[in-house]
Amino acid sequence: MTSRLWEKLKPYGMISPSLAVFGIFFIYPIFYMIYLSFFDWNFVSPTKNYVGLQNFTDLLSDKEFMQVLLNTTIYTFATVSLTLSISLAIALWLNRSGLFYGFVQGAIFSPHIISLVSISLLWSWLMDPEYGLLNWVIGLFGLSPLQWLSHPDTSLMSLILVAVWKGIGFNTLVFIAGLQSIPPSIYEAAALDRSKRWRTFRKLTLPMLSPTLFFLAIMSMIGSFQVFETIAIMTQGGPVNSTNTLVYYIYEYGFRFFKIGYASAAGVMLLIIVGVLTIIYFRMLSKRVHYR
Amino acid sequence: MSAIEKAVQARESSERNLRPETWSGVKVMNGILKALNIIGMLGLVLIFALPFAWMISTSLKTLPETMIFPPEWIPNDPQWQNFIQAWNSGPFLHYFFNSVLIAGGILILQMLTMIPAAYAFARFQFPGSGILFGFVMVTLMIPSQLIFLPVYLQLSSWHLLNTHLGLILPFASSAFGIFLLRQSFKQVPEELIEAARLDKAKEWKIMWKLMIPMARPALITIALFSFISHWNDYFWPLVMTTNETARTLPLGIAKIRETEGVATWNILMAANLILVVPILIVFFFAQRSIIKAFVYNGVK
Amino acid sequence: MGRIELKGISKFFKDEEVIKNLDLTIRDGSFTVLVGPSGCGKSTTLRMIAGLDEQTKGEIWIDDKCVNGVPPGDRDVAMVFQNYALYPTMNVYDNIEFGLINRKVPKKEREKLIKDIAEIVGLSDYMKKKPEMLSGGQRQRVALARAMVKKPQVFILDEPLSNLDAKLRHQMRTELIQLHERLGTTFVYVTHDQVEAMSMGDEIVIMNKGVIQQAASPMTLYNDPANVFAAQFIGTPAMNILPSQELQLPSAQGKRHDIASFGFRPEHALFHAPAAIEGLRLDGMVLTRESLGAENIYQIQSSLGMFSVKTFLEPLTSDTLVTVTVPYERLYYFNSEGQRLRQVEVRRGEEIGTAQAPELVSVGGGL
Repeated sequence: MTSRLWEKLKPYGMISPSLAVFGIFFIYPIFYMIYLSFFDWNFVSPTKNYVGLQNFTDLLSDKEFMQVLLNTTIYTFATVSLTLSISLAIALWLNRSGLFYGFVQGAIFSPHIISLVSISLLWSWLMDPEYGLLNWVIGLFGLSPLQWLSHPDTSLMSLILVAVWKGIGFNTLVFIAGLQSIPPSIYEAAALDRSKRWRTFRKLTLPMLSPTLFFLAIMSMIGSFQVFETIAIMTQGGPVNSTNTLVYYIYEYGFRFFKIGYASAAGVMLLIIVGVLTIIYFRMLSKRVHYR
Repeated sequence: MSAIEKAVQARESSERNLRPETWSGVKVMNGILKALNIIGMLGLVLIFALPFAWMISTSLKTLPETMIFPPEWIPNDPQWQNFIQAWNSGPFLHYFFNSVLIAGGILILQMLTMIPAAYAFARFQFPGSGILFGFVMVTLMIPSQLIFLPVYLQLSSWHLLNTHLGLILPFASSAFGIFLLRQSFKQVPEELIEAARLDKAKEWKIMWKLMIPMARPALITIALFSFISHWNDYFWPLVMTTNETARTLPLGIAKIRETEGVATWNILMAANLILVVPILIVFFFAQRSIIKAFVYNGVK
Repeated sequence: MGRIELKGISKFFKDEEVIKNLDLTIRDGSFTVLVGPSGCGKSTTLRMIAGLDEQTKGEIWIDDKCVNGVPPGDRDVAMVFQNYALYPTMNVYDNIEFGLINRKVPKKEREKLIKDIAEIVGLSDYMKKKPEMLSGGQRQRVALARAMVKKPQVFILDEPLSNLDAKLRHQMRTELIQLHERLGTTFVYVTHDQVEAMSMGDEIVIMNKGVIQQAASPMTLYNDPANVFAAQFIGTPAMNILPSQELQLPSAQGKRHDIASFGFRPEHALFHAPAAIEGLRLDGMVLTRESLGAENIYQIQSSLGMFSVKTFLEPLTSDTLVTVTVPYERLYYFNSEGQRLRQVEVRRGEEIGTAQAPELVSVGGGL
């Protein structure tokens, strides 16, 4: 009798530690954050003032926040579109086996496993307006030196450049994995049908790769919307707010100005953006299941 | 892995067969293309290798040498003491131990929580299993950047800020790991488990002797991914610490910039190398598994 | 030692009854083959004997013990799986040893048992190899060794040869028969291949849709099938079954006898039969010929439908008109439910298809 009961409870026992972690540190905080977004609280005072939607209306009428949203959106779309198109091109090029190809794949992948701290510091130095290597390199091509991170006109672009540099290797390898899951017999059939290379790419490779493409796009968008490390280390949101993005904005309002409710409201905005992207992701996930 | 290689080989050979090489001009063209191909790839490698080379070069320079423009690649007299200076510019041994403790602690705890959960989701039919697994999948999509503020408040009210436990506990289980491991447990053929039952093996024996050894590739993938991500993590320790007690290497390195002043790039790059080199060495030796781990996380 | 009895076994998957009130006794020491098309319930029956599936209703007895609710490891049965189910993480030795350890056999004894079994199946040189390094035939031997080493009362084999190529399958068939003779334990063997069933089993159980169609020795099945299904399942090509509505049968004792169809085996039909042979004459046209070397198989279209004829060296070409004679004693009759009607004999019908009524000579009891 007791053993029967144990048999029934066993699976719950086995999953409960994990569920507890997720519940306490992932699910509950979301609701807590939503709750906090309706209050005015400075973290030290014992009382929280209920302010209704005040935080949200403040947020939406705040010019700085609008700038932040714009920055984040530009950053996201530029990073994702550049990374994906360059990665796809490189993937088509490097999709071979062989020692040298493997070496190149490893080389372009390496930034992905290195701490963002290292990458941020390294690129801060590379983009140094006076002694940086990057100005020397563009000088070789006859271009005049840039201010990179130090000027509002180029700072966001510089951050995008770093993100693309870091992201290319990973995305390329995911694309290669996608390419390799396409059965070679399809290409043989296309060749027997006298299909030209470009046509084969348009009509076969790209459609068959589209699940990979969409998923990388969504995942990189979710990732890019939360950019923080490079900004915290390289620009601190400046100059003149030109690189301030959502997570950095939340961080500053939460930890520097202690406006917990206001920061939470900004967090809820980010939650909505990530949520919409996630729903699109799951829609596609179910579609992909049918597709396969 | 080998399946992928085979597919590539098959594809290559098919491409070779399909390319008609009827006249010698084609061969010349192919030679030129081949050369261009190799030059192109070298260029590509350079884009990724040059920054690292520059980092090494800078780390061995004197401060005045860093302020030469146009830059020089080879320092006159390699300044090896830069590394010592970088290491001594903060409690780096302390940071290092914190990093090991936290990334290692997370890894061990994840294994302990994830394996039973994945096993239960893969092998048992129980009421609510679908909903609970959906719950795990939702967690998979919640990035830590989204919830740091409420978690900070939680940890603060439990007095877990600035503790190792506070940095470990939120990652004590991994939704990605459960997902991946469940998948590989599910791939163990039912017949094998039946054979083991006929061999009088108990449930725990089936799990330890059969399922876990068979899921080894997945476990390696998860372990590599988890350790490298948390070793590199900057955001979470930054947000969850206010003093040095539990701070990790990435934080320490980033901090040099404040303590040593912005312009001491030679020291900064030396510190940076201390952080990067171990990972690059690991990457060099376990490149295949690491790439697989990360790419798999992307593909799912 | 290894007598198995199934009493009123039923098995439901969800709402579907896949085994319907099945009664079966498997003799101790027999080589019993369960055969039938896929989905007929033969594997489910086997798995219930092994304890891997629980029956919904009924009792399973092994010897004098009811094993309902007894876990598979305690039933004293060993099983060879279709895909061998070798533990891929263990080498050959560990694979064989695994069950012995779980049975708490002492180490010394384990070593001796495994050494002996390795010699019997010829695996002594491969003990340290992982399953993935072995060929299909070798894996099969490991699976056998792993089952044999436990010295079970009952050996259960679930389509063990289906993953082997034709030549190896033939060789393993012989080896299994020898093994059975040597061990003398009960073998319960599942296959969908009637040739395998006929060549190996001393008792064959034909199943269809969860019901036993006939359980008998191979020759009985061939000579005396119980119904259309059993008749058609055994033999290649299958027995010809033709409708008999045109056989105008007089009623017996005032009641019209229910003969719905009749059948004959392709090898019993004769071309150019001497007039002395009394039998049913069928006119038809040769459609195709399949030549198997020594014998030929013809598809013949007649007014009653298509049937096949198997003969030795009778090189007819397509479109030839032929008359085929089937001796009366080679005819089988079936009622509308497909059940065999025994002790029925029809004579003097002459050519079927003519309006001439055949004469019912004798009618015995139905089945």
